[in-house]
Amino acid sequence: MALPELEDIKVERINERESDNKVKKRNLDIDMNPMVDLAFLLLTFFMLATTFSKPQAMELLIPAKPEEQEEQEMAVKESKTISLDLSKDKVIWYQGITDPDTHVVSYQKLESILTRLNGEIDEMVVLIKPLPSSTFGHLVDVFDALNYSEVGRYAMSELSEFDESLESSAGEATEPESTVAP
Amino acid sequence: MPKLRTIKKLPKLDMNPMVDMAFLLVCFFMMTTTFKEDMPAEISIPFSKAQLKVPSKNLCTITIDKDGKMYVGLDNKFDRKQMLGYVSRTAGVNFTADQAARFSLLSSFGLPLEELPALLDLEKLDRRAFEQTGIPVDKDENELRYWLMGARLANPQLRFAINGDANAQVAEVKRVFDILQDLNITRFNLITDTEKDGPS
Repeated sequence: MALPELEDIKVERINERESDNKVKKRNLDIDMNPMVDLAFLLLTFFMLATTFSKPQAMELLIPAKPEEQEEQEMAVKESKTISLDLSKDKVIWYQGITDPDTHVVSYQKLESILTRLNGEIDEMVVLIKPLPSSTFGHLVDVFDALNYSEVGRYAMSELSEFDESLESSAGEATEPESTVAP
Repeated sequence: MPKLRTIKKLPKLDMNPMVDMAFLLVCFFMMTTTFKEDMPAEISIPFSKAQLKVPSKNLCTITIDKDGKMYVGLDNKFDRKQMLGYVSRTAGVNFTADQAARFSLLSSFGLPLEELPALLDLEKLDRRAFEQTGIPVDKDENELRYWLMGARLANPQLRFAINGDANAQVAEVKRVFDILQDLNITRFNLITDTEKDGPS
């Protein structure tokens, strides 16, 4: 017989396939190391490019610009105002405007003082007066203290002559805590 | 001799779990990443106990460095382009389309208006090295006001944040407050960092 039987061919082909499969199975063992390299490269890149600590924000509301025509001057009793004069490492505070007693407090203890004053004085108004030696960091400290002692009404205010005289004396006071009111 | 042969044959490690883990982490970082913006100035922000997050969208940042130099940054490049359009119209300084396109890629800048085209003509790497002198805020040429006005007009939903250096003078910050008040922007944020040693 010249031609092979049909059965024989089938068997042969199946055998071929089986042998093929065996070779492929051996090749399935892929080297994963370059892939690990790549993954870690990406990982390092993202880790370095990420900002981890997102900064916090402090919300601030300032009064709207007063209209030209109407005066927005609000009458506030002198005794209800507390002035905070910010200097380099301490706050000088006093109650009232005319002839006040000045007290000195550190930025760390400002919050407790404000909490106490807020309890004592009804409808207290705090005037923030940054002396030229103060910085933005101090201002933020004061806003922080005001927010946490729940003082509702505060404003940044212009320096009076009295405040300017404090600037020169601010450098001289020795111990910030020494004159803190009990 | 048989000992040597065993040493030669390295043990085969299955790397697949390692790949899985690495890509999992890559995916995590890709999802959560917000890229650092390159700032023209080094700012050490003050500490506070504030707990609010800085808004991540529609944000205009006014940066004040320790020497009182002002920088303005917008988070959206379309807003930046519109802001530039407004400022160039009101101040009468013209920018080419190429310059405007480059400006829209600038995350933050601080230069007087006349010097801005010179910065925009530089190549990207030279731009980073360029010493920026800050936006003038003098009474007679208050350019910061123009920029903030332009930003406000470009995007009415814009929120403003002041990113001040802890050592900046209060007087400089007060100027920015005054400009914002003048523009009727009465609500804004101060960018601060969480206090490290907790409440004092």
